[in-house]
Amino acid sequence: MRHPDQERDADPNWDSTFLNTRREALIIFAVWVATLLWAVPFSYLHGYDTGAVIDTVWGIPSWVFWGIATPWVAASVFALWFSLRGMADDDLGSTPDDEDG
Amino acid sequence: MVEMGGGGTALATFTLYVCGVLALAWFANRLLKRRSFLSEYFLGGRSLGVWAFALTFAATSASGGSFTGFPSKIYSHGWVLALWIGSYMVVPICLMGLLGKRFNQVARKSGAITVPDVFRDRFESPAFGLLATGLIVFFMAFNLIAQFKAGSLILQTLLAGTASFHGLAADLGSAVGGGAMGLSSGVDPEYLLCLLVFGTIVIVYTVYGGFHAVVWTDVMQGIVMVSGVMIMLPLALHQAGGLESVTKQMGAMTPPRLGVAAIEWSSPSERERIVAAGSWGWLDGDPNTGRLLRVARSAVLSPGDTRVAGVRVVELTTPGQIDRVAFDRATNWLPIGTRLTRAQVRPYAYGDGVEGTYVSGPGPSASDPQGFLPLSLAFSFFVMWAIAGTGQPGNYVRLMAFRDSRTLRHSIATVTIYYSLIYFPLILIFCCARVLLPGMEAESDRIMPAMVIFLTENAGLAWLGGLVVAAPFAAVMSTVDSFLLMISSALVRDIYQHNLRPDADEVRIRRFSYAATLVVGVAAVIGAVDPPRFLQDIIVYTGSGLAACFLGPTVFALYWPRVNTVGAMSGMIAGFGAHLAMYIAGAFVNGSFFRPVRIFDLDPILVGLTVSFAAIWLVTRWTARPPPDLVHRYFLAGTGTTTQTSAQ
Repeated sequence: MRHPDQERDADPNWDSTFLNTRREALIIFAVWVATLLWAVPFSYLHGYDTGAVIDTVWGIPSWVFWGIATPWVAASVFALWFSLRGMADDDLGSTPDDEDG
Repeated sequence: MVEMGGGGTALATFTLYVCGVLALAWFANRLLKRRSFLSEYFLGGRSLGVWAFALTFAATSASGGSFTGFPSKIYSHGWVLALWIGSYMVVPICLMGLLGKRFNQVARKSGAITVPDVFRDRFESPAFGLLATGLIVFFMAFNLIAQFKAGSLILQTLLAGTASFHGLAADLGSAVGGGAMGLSSGVDPEYLLCLLVFGTIVIVYTVYGGFHAVVWTDVMQGIVMVSGVMIMLPLALHQAGGLESVTKQMGAMTPPRLGVAAIEWSSPSERERIVAAGSWGWLDGDPNTGRLLRVARSAVLSPGDTRVAGVRVVELTTPGQIDRVAFDRATNWLPIGTRLTRAQVRPYAYGDGVEGTYVSGPGPSASDPQGFLPLSLAFSFFVMWAIAGTGQPGNYVRLMAFRDSRTLRHSIATVTIYYSLIYFPLILIFCCARVLLPGMEAESDRIMPAMVIFLTENAGLAWLGGLVVAAPFAAVMSTVDSFLLMISSALVRDIYQHNLRPDADEVRIRRFSYAATLVVGVAAVIGAVDPPRFLQDIIVYTGSGLAACFLGPTVFALYWPRVNTVGAMSGMIAGFGAHLAMYIAGAFVNGSFFRPVRIFDLDPILVGLTVSFAAIWLVTRWTARPPPDLVHRYFLAGTGTTTQTSAQ
């Protein structure tokens, strides 16, 4: 028997939960990278060593509003959509009867 | 400024909360009599629904740090904490979505009840199980002690205004001072009393009710936590004059100066005298000096003396704050006939005399010339919360316990909303605290309960104080109970049942489980009697250390069929070693274990994770493939106990 790694393309019997969870994990990781690339550089460029006078939006320093609060809302909207619509409802199976053994 | 202390009403409300926790434990215990003991006691029978799973996950992840350390940092460093905590925008989806469904599936396939079980069974390696057990016990034990201290300090602040509490503590102090408990007389009796009360409550309900009690109390605690924040937010914004005003005032603030001073009395006394922490005084008793200082630690004058030296003080440097304290009728001034002299204060290493430092990065720092959050650390924390947080065994246990995929999906949505209602509002609340409660930099660990009591008493809602201050208490409690159960499950399942007495019957396992949880809890209380310093540092070290050990092996175990036992174990050991090496090097280079060496200014967690992931990949590539039957069991369809069904 060939190892599963060697027959990935040929073998259609990969567990669907494994495939779905791996796909979902990659998407979530990409979202984390996107928020990182938005929040950290933006906040650094607009929010560091600004001096005493700063712009505000609704009382929040503008660099916090656009660099943190806005991506926070965007990420939350995505998380709600992805968790409720984008993730698969995989069957996780049952446990062996003799758990305590 | 208002004197801290909740008084009797707050105490009564808080007592009701504790009664609710204990009642839930009693109900939970009744469930244990119906099903398989170990699975129920340590994992809740893998039956958690949306609300139970979402709130136990959120409450356990929040920990004492969220309600003590985080507010303390906001207060101390200002708006830059929004960036420090920024990755919480994706923490729920990362912590639950990256590994959750797959971890739950693998645990079901193997029948695992504990986290070490998963590694032992996934790799069919008892040695791997023991390694995971050892690391969990090592890190969790330290963290548990730190969390016990946090819970006790919060309780101490809550009870500070209650006469019966002081009387009871004095009696306990006499007993301790007399050696009745075999403890040194240097132990603060009020802290000791709070530790005993906190420890007893947590140990009783955890031992008695097991995982169900922990989950149900987490649900209750999760509701208390978000309610507390939602109550505090409008009170804080209103009392501070609105967010626009707060940010403007913070823009004009300059960091205070920390140091020591002497307190002098005009005449000696025949009895002991105390100047309470939080008292204000002008240097040399003269307002014309313009130097206003706050006493940060209570000072005790012995009979016959007239001076106490080395009293910790904070000196305000912002004119607006000085005026606010000087003209506030509620300010608690030093007793008449007493004055502060010989102040020796030092400027902040970053931000001294600089306006705007509290509304911009990197934020003021008393000790670091680069400021609180240089770019490298901002990046590190973005990795730490979302990615390293994914590698916490305490979260893994929850991920093993939810009922089905739908529960996970809906819980991610719930926790996303829940965290948004907690973390960003906390930033707003404790920016307001900078305006409302100036001069608490030297005791900022107490800012959360102090702010709760200040806001509710000012609003004439003292009764609400007990409930709201229960929020940080609940956060600590929900973390402590989970860690307690995790350590005892490691002892019972992974050491006793798997290695010492595989033939033990259920009655014996039940007794051993109760005993192990009790012993671990009591040991943690004893460990916290002489409270460890560096509360937040211990929590950071243990949290990042666990991630360095567990995240790599977990990711590869779940998603890479090629990984083998020796590769995964190498990653766990390498992650532990690399992370620890940064801290040990810090002890030599920087003079303190808790000031680790930072390569390229990055946090040690990044070194630990990088080394761990690299070690797993390299060692696996260099060594033999895993047994085909193991790969089939966990990666191919139609094997194990999982059945494949339709995806949405």
